[in-house]
Amino acid sequence: MILAHVHPAAGLGLPGPWEQVSVVAALLVAVAYGTAAGRLRRRGDVWPRWRGVSFTAGSAGVAWAAAGPLPGGPFTAHMVQHLILGMAAPLLLVLARPLTLALRVLPPGPVRRGLLSLARSRPVGRLVLPPVAALLDVGGLWLLYRTEVFAAMQHRPLLHAVVHVHVLAAGLLFTFAVCQLDPVRRRRGLPLRGTTLLAAGAAHAVLAKTLYASPPPGAVLTAADLHTGAQVMYYGGDLVEAALGVVLAASWYRAAGRAQAHRRRRAGPVTGPRAVTGAPAGPSVPDSPAGPEAASSAAARPETVRERGGGRTADARPAVGRPRGSALGFPVAVRRGPLRLRSGKGADTARRPR
Amino acid sequence: MNASVHRPPVRGTQPEPRRSMVVCGVIGAAVMAAVDEIVFHQILGWHHFYDRSTTGVGLLSDGLLHTAELLALVAGFFLYADLRRRGALAPAHAWAGFFLGLGAFQLFDGIVDHKLLRLHQIRYGVDLTPYDWAWNLGGLVLLLTGVVLGVRAARLGRAGPAS
Repeated sequence: MILAHVHPAAGLGLPGPWEQVSVVAALLVAVAYGTAAGRLRRRGDVWPRWRGVSFTAGSAGVAWAAAGPLPGGPFTAHMVQHLILGMAAPLLLVLARPLTLALRVLPPGPVRRGLLSLARSRPVGRLVLPPVAALLDVGGLWLLYRTEVFAAMQHRPLLHAVVHVHVLAAGLLFTFAVCQLDPVRRRRGLPLRGTTLLAAGAAHAVLAKTLYASPPPGAVLTAADLHTGAQVMYYGGDLVEAALGVVLAASWYRAAGRAQAHRRRRAGPVTGPRAVTGAPAGPSVPDSPAGPEAASSAAARPETVRERGGGRTADARPAVGRPRGSALGFPVAVRRGPLRLRSGKGADTARRPR
Repeated sequence: MNASVHRPPVRGTQPEPRRSMVVCGVIGAAVMAAVDEIVFHQILGWHHFYDRSTTGVGLLSDGLLHTAELLALVAGFFLYADLRRRGALAPAHAWAGFFLGLGAFQLFDGIVDHKLLRLHQIRYGVDLTPYDWAWNLGGLVLLLTGVVLGVRAARLGRAGPAS
């Protein structure tokens, strides 16, 4: 049990100074996010609540990984810690779009300008190139587990803290680069981001399997602990990679839907009763063929069908009850603040730089 | 799936048989990979996570394939949803593609993974011959089902526009 002292918090002892700093930092960041989101909502912007929940969960994950009780033997506990710190928490934090929030909530001035120019600077642009970010993330893991770093880390608290900070930072960078939800210098296409995710996932899986066969050099571990830890790494990595895949695929699906709706509107009058629904849940699909229910609702409302081809699509429906601006694909309903779109998706893209 | 077979074509939406087949083939392969992982690795515990006869190349290809399956399942689902949304799904071709995917993955797993790369075997401590035969014949049956469905779908497609 050479690693027994790695996680002081896992036992009965009080958390060490590094753990306390991490917990306080996580708490502060979560409070800052909540305050900023609240300010945005008070002035009338839409900022979905689930983003706040996601960010809070991510911060809580960081705090827990730093100081909470972790299951299993020392290596398994270490692996759970790294999964949370390097994969799950970064995903939850990045999904909450902290940079977009900061840019929206900061008043015009040097701070906002500085943040924006940092986000768009050339070095940051290179860092968030997906393959570079993946290399920093997974390459760091290979260094950690396939060199003496892992063994050395057990005896040096400072090195231990540095490794953990690197794992979190590299995880954040990789997730940020692959998901690309926040504004960056240059947007990368789906093929590059998808391929990077595939390569990084494969490297992660291979590393997990080699760990199953042989422990990190210099570390003394029981076989059972090693095997559980390696499988936690393999399957836990799968879960987060699948979630990342869902993020990429969902953003493609939304973009394709928007493009399709746009093409239909350009093509002129559309058929069907669901021409413009103005549903607030993102882009509506004008004449989405929903099978029998579409046909039956068309039969039930013949007046809408009769008017097909008569001028613009939106005119095929009675003007009453149609939200203003719904011809744009999203409703511009109530304005509480100064001139801000109150639609979730539309507002996001409208306010995003570039 | 079948609800949209006899729907009159909506303007601007054409069924896309080839795309339907490819997308559902991807889903089929990924589903079979998931079944393999869940049933044989986790529930039955027949396959081993790692047996030490694996080569470096085998390990690399296994990692790539495993991640690709995972992402293919996700991507396939969203591509399928997109086909449905556009009314471009050709159900007959989709089913054919699905079975082709199932069978192709099972055969690939049985021949390349188990025998050529020797990643792991179907089961340990028993005579493998019947297991290997059952596994690969099962894959072949699924594949042939897909071929038959594909031929029927192509015939339907040719007969459809003519009539």
